[in-house]
Amino acid sequence: MATTTVDAHAHDSHAHEGPKGILGYFWSTDHKVIAQLYLWTGMFMALIGGLMAYVFRMQLAFPGKPVPGFGVVSPVEYNALVTNHGTIMIFWVAMPVLIAAFGNFLIPLMIGADDMVFPRINRLSYQVFLLSAIVILASLVVEGGGFGGAWTAYPPLSANPAYNLTPLGATLWVVAVALEFVAFLLGGINFIVTLMNARAPGMKAYDIPMVCWMIVIASILFMLSVGPLIAGAVMLLFDQTLGTGFFNPAVGGDPILWQHLFWFFGHPEVYVVLLPAIGVTVDIVATFSRRKLFGYRLLLYTAVGIGVLSFFVWAHHQFIAGIDPRMANIFTVTTLLISIPVIEMFFVVFATMYGGSIRLTVPMLWALSFLAEFMIGGMTGIYLGSSGSDIYLHDTYFVLAHFHYTFFPIAIIGGFAAFTYWFPKMYGKMLDERLGKIHFWGTIISFNFIFIPLFILGGLGQHRRIYNFQNFPELAPYQPLRVVATTALVVMLLFQLVFFWNLIKSFRRGVPAPKNPWESNTLEWTADSPPPHGNWPPDQMPVVYRGPYEYGHPGRESDFWPQNVPPAREA
Amino acid sequence: MSSKPIATSRSATGIPTGRLAVWWVLASEVVIFGGLLASYVMHRLGHPEWHAAAAVTNTWIGAFNTFVLLSSSFTAVLAHQAAEHGDGKGAARYLSYTILGAITFICVKAFEWTTEISHGYTISSNGFWQFYYTAAGLHALHVIAGAVIMAFVARDAARGRELHRVELIGIYWHFVDVVWIFLFPLLYIAK
Amino acid sequence: MAETHHPNYKKIYLTLLVLLVISIAGPFVGIGWVTLITAFGIALVKADMVVQNFMHLKWEKPIIRYLLGASVLLMILFYGAIATDVQKHEGKNWSNDAAKAAVARGIPGAHHEGGAPEEAAPEPAPEPVATPAAAPAEAPTFDAAGAFATSCAPCHGAAGAGDGAAAAALNPKPANFTDPAFWSSRGDAEIFKAIREGGAAVGRSSTMPPWGSMLDSTRTAAMVGYLHTLKK
Repeated sequence: MATTTVDAHAHDSHAHEGPKGILGYFWSTDHKVIAQLYLWTGMFMALIGGLMAYVFRMQLAFPGKPVPGFGVVSPVEYNALVTNHGTIMIFWVAMPVLIAAFGNFLIPLMIGADDMVFPRINRLSYQVFLLSAIVILASLVVEGGGFGGAWTAYPPLSANPAYNLTPLGATLWVVAVALEFVAFLLGGINFIVTLMNARAPGMKAYDIPMVCWMIVIASILFMLSVGPLIAGAVMLLFDQTLGTGFFNPAVGGDPILWQHLFWFFGHPEVYVVLLPAIGVTVDIVATFSRRKLFGYRLLLYTAVGIGVLSFFVWAHHQFIAGIDPRMANIFTVTTLLISIPVIEMFFVVFATMYGGSIRLTVPMLWALSFLAEFMIGGMTGIYLGSSGSDIYLHDTYFVLAHFHYTFFPIAIIGGFAAFTYWFPKMYGKMLDERLGKIHFWGTIISFNFIFIPLFILGGLGQHRRIYNFQNFPELAPYQPLRVVATTALVVMLLFQLVFFWNLIKSFRRGVPAPKNPWESNTLEWTADSPPPHGNWPPDQMPVVYRGPYEYGHPGRESDFWPQNVPPAREA
Repeated sequence: MSSKPIATSRSATGIPTGRLAVWWVLASEVVIFGGLLASYVMHRLGHPEWHAAAAVTNTWIGAFNTFVLLSSSFTAVLAHQAAEHGDGKGAARYLSYTILGAITFICVKAFEWTTEISHGYTISSNGFWQFYYTAAGLHALHVIAGAVIMAFVARDAARGRELHRVELIGIYWHFVDVVWIFLFPLLYIAK
Repeated sequence: MAETHHPNYKKIYLTLLVLLVISIAGPFVGIGWVTLITAFGIALVKADMVVQNFMHLKWEKPIIRYLLGASVLLMILFYGAIATDVQKHEGKNWSNDAAKAAVARGIPGAHHEGGAPEEAAPEPAPEPVATPAAAPAEAPTFDAAGAFATSCAPCHGAAGAGDGAAAAALNPKPANFTDPAFWSSRGDAEIFKAIREGGAAVGRSSTMPPWGSMLDSTRTAAMVGYLHTLKK
């Protein structure tokens, strides 16, 4: 069984065409179909999360006024919107799009395999994920409304229905998140084992494209950090429904335990989504700089280092929760330390671009803006990671703007970068570049106009999760800043219509995509656009001869050198 | 009949894909149970008054269940040995003993819990009991799930098919046994 | 398949059983640290034997050992860092009084079969931070006053005068049940509806949340009845 030979006849027995009918899509085991399912579910949930933001930002800009399309927002509804916006964006948008969708689509293609190693478990993971999405949406419409205790769900608010007033909503919220965890555990194991074992003949570990490494390292990080929180979710569920008191101090429980359980996962989680975004960026930048990656092994070891370090910083979310100050000291040091490998990865990307022949395509624009916007997020994190300044800044809009300057680049910019780059391969058509640029600039500029005002408001002491700032005399005069932010959000949402128009236009009348429109080296560009079931004919599975970033190789005519092209024979 | 992709039969690491996957599953289970049990230990050590509740658990029942699980692990590894020699029927027989062990374990647990609950020790009684039922309950769920999967593997093995899966379900089963090896002193011996 | 490493499983199994017997016998010696070793030390040995021999880790490729090692180390980190906050009940500038009280209280009303009865522990689980409207299994009658104190007083004030701690930031102010003007301007039906469906349902501030998911009609009526007692 321990062999690397290609087993040709095992493939023919499941030769069949694409999925039949709608139900066929949900029953397919083809990694590309499952990738589509994750992608479109994630995009749909992004729409929901974005509309939630629209509603609560309208309330903040024009307090008490009915929001067009929603009506008057009550404080209870406001809390539910804010809570579920955060929860949905992280668990049902960032993770499924960056990890599940692109991981599923890219990993088998980029390592030269015909599918994931466990196609049926892959299908199961999507089905569990879909169930979790249905449950979280259901939680919004049950009696009592959706859970409003913030995505961090601290007890006793989250554990005691008398406090949160949403007994059904709170329980369904916990169940939805737990199901999502199970789905990503199942999916993650598939990615990890596929990358480890199912590589094409000749593909050594250092020949794997960076985006695949990053998705797999992220899956490992997720798997190792989510365990205690799964235990915690069970405890919270029991507190909510069975009358236990895991987090109830009156009966010997401890609410601080939940905080630790949550953030022990919560901090690695942000690197779980960051690493794939960096992976996407690296692959795009290398292709459109026509240069070899500056430091492949450096980047790889740094990513692993970040993964390890990410387990040592979590309590910086709890600096003012009453933890021991000596613990806060330790976590300040580790938190500041972790910024070093992250910026080092950025230097690798910049060094790759230096001296390159830059092609400013739409994917490249997204990738470059990821670098710029994320740096702002990262630098503002320094103030939050230092326990001293965090005493003032904790729970203000400064934190909110910081994490939107990290999460938005990761999920939205990274998502669009990956989508526009691999669209030709996925659908066999090219996207319109002009519409893509309009969409890009509109989104990026309005994004900054949303969150720079929020940085300012945070510095002024404006706290998070508050329904109406007119009630605070010292903050009320800054209402114009809130209006600017909301207006920019509406503008940004409107610019997404350009994206949808681009999609419709390209699906209908787009230029047919060649196999390798970007002249890239990696294996997915050797398959048809879109690839058939099995990706390549069984007797033409790729064999790999070199690394993925051999661009601008000296002495060669062409400025790229695909991985599967045999070396030139000695004349 | 199962049409596996070419990918599944490759093995760049030298470890068969199925076995590699099972070890990853176990790694994730280590952190799940580890998180739960570490939380329990923190509370137990910080609340010495819980000994009054811990004294109630019946060490003999716990010990018997430990014996049952150890024996079932023994039969599971004998099933593996048989499968390696191509003896599908023998492997299926040993697996069925293991499943018998699982059923015995669950029955004893059911008897134990109904006794404790009828005496008023429910999951919401106090801090000790909530951890006791949650930890042992999560473990019992893994026992049941493992037994169900094992039944399918045994059915295939009896027909001489997919014999490599006997080893895989065995590795999972031993893990379930190892968790109990730690639960036993934590919940029963430590009074 | 290269799996020819099969140790003597029977010998290992019998060793495991012997170790089990020792771990049961340990507590009977009566010395604390002996029990610790026989219980947990032996558990470690048994686990190691099962993992190495039954799960064949001894002959497995090193990467698997690193993987398992990493997960175990992670759990040690988890325990080590968090125990300083959760297991300890005091530290620099902080003290977990609720936990200390729980320790001092002991297990209330422990139903022992022949065990020594607990000292003190007179009342059942003392009024904790919650248990108002959503009555736990025992409470047969609904404690409207307690529910008011927990859920309504933060805005409406302990005496219902609309002066609770949160009222400072609210505009309009919460209703003042001690004011005759409140009672002359609305009837019980409107108050009942406001409690169950929220202030917006009766044309008033939506800051008053809907409690209908927590209070059924009977309990809501009890709350209305309680509010009457706050009249001056």
